[in-house]
Amino acid sequence: MTVDSESVHRLSTEAPSRHRGRRGDLVSMLLLLVFLAAFPFVAPGSLVGVGVYAMIYAIAALGLSLLMGLAGQVSLGQAGFFAIGAYTQAVLVTEYAVNALLASVVAVAVTMTAALLVGLPLLRLRGHYLALATLGFGIIVAVLATESDFLGATSGIFGIEKPDVNGRVYDSATEYFLLLTPVVLVALLLARNIVESRIGRALSAVNDSEVAAESLGVDTFRLRVQVFVLSAAYASVAGTAFAHWIAVVNPNAANFPLSVKFLLMAVLGGVGSVYGAVVGAFAVEGLDDGLRRLIPELVPGAVGEVQLIGFGIALTLIMIFLPGGLHQAFQLLVGRIRRGPSDGAAPDPGAPARQVDGGPLLVREGRPEPGTPLLVVEGLTKRFGGVVAVDSLDLTVHAGEIVALIGPNGAGKTTAFNMISGAVIPTSGTVTMSGKRVEGRKPHVIAMAGATRTFQNLQIFTSSTVLGNVKVGRHLRSRAGLLRGALVLPARAEERALERSARDLVELLGLGPDADRLAVDLPFGRQRLVEIARALALEPDLLLLDEPMAGLSGAERSELALLLRRLRAGGMAIVLVEHDVEAVLALADRIAVLDDGVRIALGTPAEVRRDPAVISAYLGVETDDGSELASVEGPSAS
Amino acid sequence: MTDLLQLLFAGLSQGAIYALIAIGFVAIFAVSGVINLAQGEFAALAGLVAISARASGLPLPVAVVVAVATVAVVAVVMERLTIAPVKAMTTLVSLILTLGVSTALKALMLLVYGPNAEGLEAITPGIVTVAGVSIRYQDLWILLVAAVVSAAVYWFYDRTVTGKALRACAEQPVAARLVGISLGRASLISFLIAGIVGALAGVLSSPVYFTSWESGLALGLKGFVAATLGGLVSIRGAVLGGFVLGVLETLTAGYVSTGLRDAVAFLLLIVVLVVRPGGIFGRHAEARV
Amino acid sequence: MSLQVQGLHAGYGRLEVLHGVDLEVGTGELVAVIGANGAGKTTLLRALSGLLKVRDGTVLVNGTDVTGKGPEKLAASGLAHVPENRLVFPTLTVADNLLLGAYTRRRRPSAERDADRERALALFPRLADRLGQAAGTLSGGEQQMLAVARGLMARPTVLMLDEPSVGLAPRLVGEIFTALGVLRDDGLTLVLIEQNARAALAIADRGYVMDRGRVVFTGVPSELLGDARVQATYLGGDFSPAGGAGDGEPRPAGGSVAMEGG
Repeated sequence: MTVDSESVHRLSTEAPSRHRGRRGDLVSMLLLLVFLAAFPFVAPGSLVGVGVYAMIYAIAALGLSLLMGLAGQVSLGQAGFFAIGAYTQAVLVTEYAVNALLASVVAVAVTMTAALLVGLPLLRLRGHYLALATLGFGIIVAVLATESDFLGATSGIFGIEKPDVNGRVYDSATEYFLLLTPVVLVALLLARNIVESRIGRALSAVNDSEVAAESLGVDTFRLRVQVFVLSAAYASVAGTAFAHWIAVVNPNAANFPLSVKFLLMAVLGGVGSVYGAVVGAFAVEGLDDGLRRLIPELVPGAVGEVQLIGFGIALTLIMIFLPGGLHQAFQLLVGRIRRGPSDGAAPDPGAPARQVDGGPLLVREGRPEPGTPLLVVEGLTKRFGGVVAVDSLDLTVHAGEIVALIGPNGAGKTTAFNMISGAVIPTSGTVTMSGKRVEGRKPHVIAMAGATRTFQNLQIFTSSTVLGNVKVGRHLRSRAGLLRGALVLPARAEERALERSARDLVELLGLGPDADRLAVDLPFGRQRLVEIARALALEPDLLLLDEPMAGLSGAERSELALLLRRLRAGGMAIVLVEHDVEAVLALADRIAVLDDGVRIALGTPAEVRRDPAVISAYLGVETDDGSELASVEGPSAS
Repeated sequence: MTDLLQLLFAGLSQGAIYALIAIGFVAIFAVSGVINLAQGEFAALAGLVAISARASGLPLPVAVVVAVATVAVVAVVMERLTIAPVKAMTTLVSLILTLGVSTALKALMLLVYGPNAEGLEAITPGIVTVAGVSIRYQDLWILLVAAVVSAAVYWFYDRTVTGKALRACAEQPVAARLVGISLGRASLISFLIAGIVGALAGVLSSPVYFTSWESGLALGLKGFVAATLGGLVSIRGAVLGGFVLGVLETLTAGYVSTGLRDAVAFLLLIVVLVVRPGGIFGRHAEARV
Repeated sequence: MSLQVQGLHAGYGRLEVLHGVDLEVGTGELVAVIGANGAGKTTLLRALSGLLKVRDGTVLVNGTDVTGKGPEKLAASGLAHVPENRLVFPTLTVADNLLLGAYTRRRRPSAERDADRERALALFPRLADRLGQAAGTLSGGEQQMLAVARGLMARPTVLMLDEPSVGLAPRLVGEIFTALGVLRDDGLTLVLIEQNARAALAIADRGYVMDRGRVVFTGVPSELLGDARVQATYLGGDFSPAGGAGDGEPRPAGGSVAMEGG
């Protein structure tokens, strides 16, 4: 298959720098605010009616936009949640005469519970599978509504009255629009805050590189479920507003075409931009109305629903030519106007790192005493089909030591490393980290136990700055959840502290001048440093490095070696997989040599380099004499 | 007992239609990872084209050929206009693109053929009763054609160089390109196949189930469920999945409630996706196509 | 000259991996390209066979400019690339894998392709016994042989191999490298990318050493093996202190890196 599992879940839009995006967002927000305030007063009467639908759908589209932009998941069943909200509201106000506001609170709670129940199994799925499972969910809701006599079967529930607040009845389009405006604005604000919050940052990181985010302690499944439930809550708010506006709820509320409409709104506005969903809703409803009037003029005798043709073409064209939606178009426009010298004035990438002294780094209270066993690997085995990639590996790593894993290509060292870091599930054997069994657990569990990793082929969070990358590393050292993030204020102090500690770390590793640049714009060697900074932000007891020297220049290698020694001096344990034997011999306290999945040697560099088994296995050729590894590896001039 | 046989037979006939549509999903998904949400519209369009061709006086076989050819062209044009230009195909992009085409096709059918559901005339009208089970001749045609087409598609992937090349694209796209197979061409061929089988499903089902501009939605979704039951990358799995789904639906309709049959189909979809993402028949990482 | 590469730049996304690579391979020559992990060897091959877009520079095959062509076109113009990790078509049989190897020549008379197949099977006799077996069920070594044989089925003028020795037992590596020697002796032009530098240089006519996206050294195998700079950048440097045995203390990284940087 051409789509690898990693890229499948990614959204196609390349997120612009948050830095620049925020200014654009502010402008857009203001424009939107002015638009919403003026709309009911300046638009002609019939258009205000269209506007009311746009406002209702905008709330659902916002939720979907959050789901797609943050969690990177497409739902084709949002109408199902919309309908659950609408039906609950309708039942409560008509059958039980509950106050509309109270009813809507209950309706949202009911929907969120339903979303949690649906989401727990469904969110184990990804990409296409999740999209289609949600589609199935939407259809099931529609079928159940149709089959339920309690819910009025096909004809639905009638007679829902317009809300009445302190005697003011919101019964005209203009009135209802005014009632919805604050709802939409609050929904928008909450969504925007979440995007900017700790949770939003973690989810954005997941979209860029799921495995890296998990290694930094982000529990992706949990966050996905949270956002899924949140998006359902948005849909149900829209559903309750809808119920009161059209006064009747029938199974059409759960219809697939409505889910498609929400999707179109979110996509047209631009996934990942919250205000875009609102703009998208107005655009789609406007287009809908316009086409509904226009097409019969153009094609006499054309019947209803033909405006769909415009939708279809619009969807296709947007996806091909403007995958970022209106938001992208707007950003391009703003970018063109603003494009100043500031963009090009990047600091000199070659700025020397500020690593003069060689003292211990990141000494931390409560770290295990040097010499205590930190990581204990026993009998770790991985079989792929019939091939044994790693065969009962035993290894103990103590606090304050550097252990290297080496071996010829295909020896299984990367597999072993991946099993320890949680990226690969072992066939058998145990991994104990700080006394906690972690084999087969996801990387975030291992991160919580105090170990994190870097990646050989770099898993930088491409849509964030250097600082943003490092901040994700602080995920476990901060705690603002979805709710606190949405409400901003309670999380602000923590956010500031987080910013400070991230910046300190960036400075410490000499990345200061690049702190606010997009991490992907940095040269390879600096990106590697960003990954290490990000890992260090977690304050790990054990740092797992996958070929940290690969692709680095000589100067960068010696800097990195110095850094690792200083971290060791600070009490951290380091495990590294490395091809560069020279660097390993010079750096590691102990070396484990793997060949064909089996640990053939374990000892100090001096012991390992003289081991004849190592010499012959490592080179994959028979050696005629017992010459030591070094001299075979770098053949003497003789 | 007779009831059960009757239901089973109806289920097989229905399942044969799902199987054909499922083959279309598999053909495309295996090669390019695209789930073609317009697959059901291929069937609906074929039905409508055949009905109108028949109404304009063409003999039935000619009308069927016209319908299949029209849909084949539509599928190929769709691939060239919407799938081929996209460089980085992702889930979101592919779903929305094909959703867009599906929506546009639906509206186009509504515009051209109007809102009413109609049925194409049966190839052989009438009913025969065997052991108390009444069988439409058209149902027999459906089963026959579905069997022949499935076998032909299977033969194509198993025996011809082009078929093997398509499997190569599905299994190892990079290596396929290195031996000179064009992924773009493979994608085009896969749409052509999907168009043809989808169209056949449409003309075969029309006499029994009727066709309207909207009928593609249900057909497409059920075909997708069938393909998923079969693991989404196996022709054999898709055909089996179609029959399983068809029988299950008619049994539900017969013994539980007609209204719930769709709910059962999609509940099955969700359960299979969650519990056995590799399909109910296949081992994981089963042969593709 | 079968293959001429000048000033080749290529990379992934914003990351440039190759910063101007020059490479020349004479007709009938076996050229080894060696270098550490991350040196850009695989990227070079991907760019040469069109899998990766060439950003700058030119690629000539038999004197014809093929820069910027896709792999489908290049396969037909005589360039065969045996990819890293073999990438055989797992559910297709060995025979079908070979059949698709000749995909660009599928309209040629089948007798011609049969003769090619016989030649490829003569080179790897153990494949002949497994023609009807699904390629995914072969052992790693057999899959590698199949990948090479599949590459040969296109009747290339230049055969490029990416790390054919990865993950194989030394005996199988020997078997494959022997086959490569036979092909060279038959007049085929070969480009061999390898981490197993000693094995590659043992059969190569010439070698290129890559480091961080550039060719840093080129010469005949004996020159490469003897050159201090090559030892430093790729083979790991002569870090054993004078006298060697007995001194177990690793040298500080600063020292060895300085040598490398120099």
